Amino acid sequence: MDALLTKIKTAGEASSKKEASPAKMISGSETLLQCLVAENVNTLFGYPGGAIMPVYDALYGYADKLTHILVRHEQGAVHAAQGFARVSGKVGVALATSGPGATNLVTGLADALIDSTPIVCITGQVFAHLLGTDAFQEIDVINTTIPVTKWNIQVTEAKDIAPAIAKAFYIARTGRPGPVLVDITKNAQNEMIAEAEYVPCKNIRTYKPKPELNLSQVEEAAKLINAAKRPYILAGQGILLSGATEALIAFSEKTGIPVASTLLGLGGFPTDHPNYVGYLGMHGNYGPNVNTNECDVLIAVGMRFDDRVTGNVSKYAKQAKVVHIEIDRAEINKIIPATVAVHADAKEALTALITKCDSNQYPEWIGSFHKMKDIEFEKVIKHEFNPTGELMMAEVIHHLSEMTNGEAIIVTDVGQHQMTTSRYYEYKNPRTNVTSGGAGTMGFALPAAIGAKLGMPVKQVIAVIGDGGYQMTVQELGTIMQYKIPVKILVLNNNFLGMVRQWQQLFHEKRYSFTEMSNPNFVKLAEAYDIPARKVEKREDLKAALKEMLDAETSFFLEAVVGKEDNVFPMVPAGAGVAEVILEIPKK
Amino acid sequence: MKQNFTLAIHSDNNFSVLNRIVNILNRRRVRIKKLMAHENENDFTRGMALILVHTTPDLMEKVKHQLEKLIEVEQALYYEGSDVYIELSAKHTEVAA
Repeated sequence: MDALLTKIKTAGEASSKKEASPAKMISGSETLLQCLVAENVNTLFGYPGGAIMPVYDALYGYADKLTHILVRHEQGAVHAAQGFARVSGKVGVALATSGPGATNLVTGLADALIDSTPIVCITGQVFAHLLGTDAFQEIDVINTTIPVTKWNIQVTEAKDIAPAIAKAFYIARTGRPGPVLVDITKNAQNEMIAEAEYVPCKNIRTYKPKPELNLSQVEEAAKLINAAKRPYILAGQGILLSGATEALIAFSEKTGIPVASTLLGLGGFPTDHPNYVGYLGMHGNYGPNVNTNECDVLIAVGMRFDDRVTGNVSKYAKQAKVVHIEIDRAEINKIIPATVAVHADAKEALTALITKCDSNQYPEWIGSFHKMKDIEFEKVIKHEFNPTGELMMAEVIHHLSEMTNGEAIIVTDVGQHQMTTSRYYEYKNPRTNVTSGGAGTMGFALPAAIGAKLGMPVKQVIAVIGDGGYQMTVQELGTIMQYKIPVKILVLNNNFLGMVRQWQQLFHEKRYSFTEMSNPNFVKLAEAYDIPARKVEKREDLKAALKEMLDAETSFFLEAVVGKEDNVFPMVPAGAGVAEVILEIPKK
Repeated sequence: MKQNFTLAIHSDNNFSVLNRIVNILNRRRVRIKKLMAHENENDFTRGMALILVHTTPDLMEKVKHQLEKLIEVEQALYYEGSDVYIELSAKHTEVAA
């Protein structure tokens, strides 16, 4: 491994060059902290344990430079690091000990990998001489996390810590971002070496994070787009990751092409823009799904044709020529064959396309989206915004969106509440939608919201969670209490694992197999953590309850009791094509 | 239609790189018929994995790009059939002997 790491001054080199004044000797642990400071890290999320104790000991002296947030479970640390990264655009950092501490990171690493989130996780490991001996809390973390990281490395000598951290940050944030894990043995943490200047990594021989823009690909794409009668842009998270929002707006405005967003792309194009036509996918808007199979040129930007977007691929956009703009070469032609592939950063590609594409307008084509929006309004939205009886998730989110003017950071978990929020929260700005997309990790939202608030303290951060997912990481209320993190928590409680129940209703003859939940008194639970709390069940109390939550200067917990058997529509049933999207329960 | 392909993967040589390569093939359920890996004669920091696999042309092309996405992999080349595998593995075995 030694030979592969970035060259920096080692203890030997340093001492030979500074004969007059011997270099200060510091531990591997302090070296690590100096590296983090040099990488402009200011917040760490972690949980101590035996194999990472030297790092925690060194951390005691770095309180003025590094804020450490003690979570209640390592999964909380990694999700918090994700939330921090997603809103700030910086690399999130999590610390954990060896063995179970490290394996508790696995879900978050997998989540960060599929959702392209830049994080660096640092784990302690047993002494190097104990590796492979089944020592206490020794788990082969490298092989455990190979499938769920963009890269990982084990460091067994202090001199390799700085180059490993430099590579880790470079890999995490460049190209298609992702999670990196650095596993450091305890002897390396303890070992004393000469203090050395940190050298950031700027290049790795075998890694080309950003392809050079190929102008002939751009010209081919422009030809298709200029000849199109019904072109259609699908905007993914690549827009946010490359900072391409302005370029996308300019491209759409010049060409007149309508834009729909994927789940993770929400916020990448303003929802109040006249060219915005809605949200795509299994529970996306009606028009964007149906018109995927009506367009003649599909321009997919920074997205990977996830199966929740495509439905049945054999019925997906068969009539369309596909322009796929994507930074990750492995995503091109992986699911949907591209007529023209532009292997590039989204911002660079769109900027180049703007100059090559003609000004245009497609009023009839955009009008077809509006017609379907009207149908969806009549069949679904009107009822959800003006229901009778129990509260509905949709009306709660609709009011929340209006009361925050679509400008809060919304962190969602996974399930019905997530789909409802994606449909009805009108995101105005980039990096305001934080959710678990590809992995679908229940338990993500509460810790991710903690990270999001610390990553963007000036913004209102609201975790919208279902009653199931909330209880998967509910212990992080302790973190909120200890650090007085003014995160707002809105639990939409239907006393069910709602999305699974919906599927059981629609596809399993209403056999509700183990989806109903007996829940605790959520208000008392929050109050036990010194978090002000309120429960709302009646429509007439909803706005006041939301206002109380939003106005609170501290953290606040609001439980909204919603209909037990409400469903999320539209829906593309499993196995169906996107054009077979349904707006209500099919009549038998 | 599945057929034999020879994969020649040029990469850095470190403790985990072979696992990473095999993980990609396993995850895509690409059958490994033969495998040979070695470090370069003149530079131990680099190496090559030579793998005879049985899969479809479409999946071979997709797997190539997934392999090249690995940080340590410089290039993943593939050739139809087993001739290249036999030739390169014999050549390396001769040198090693």
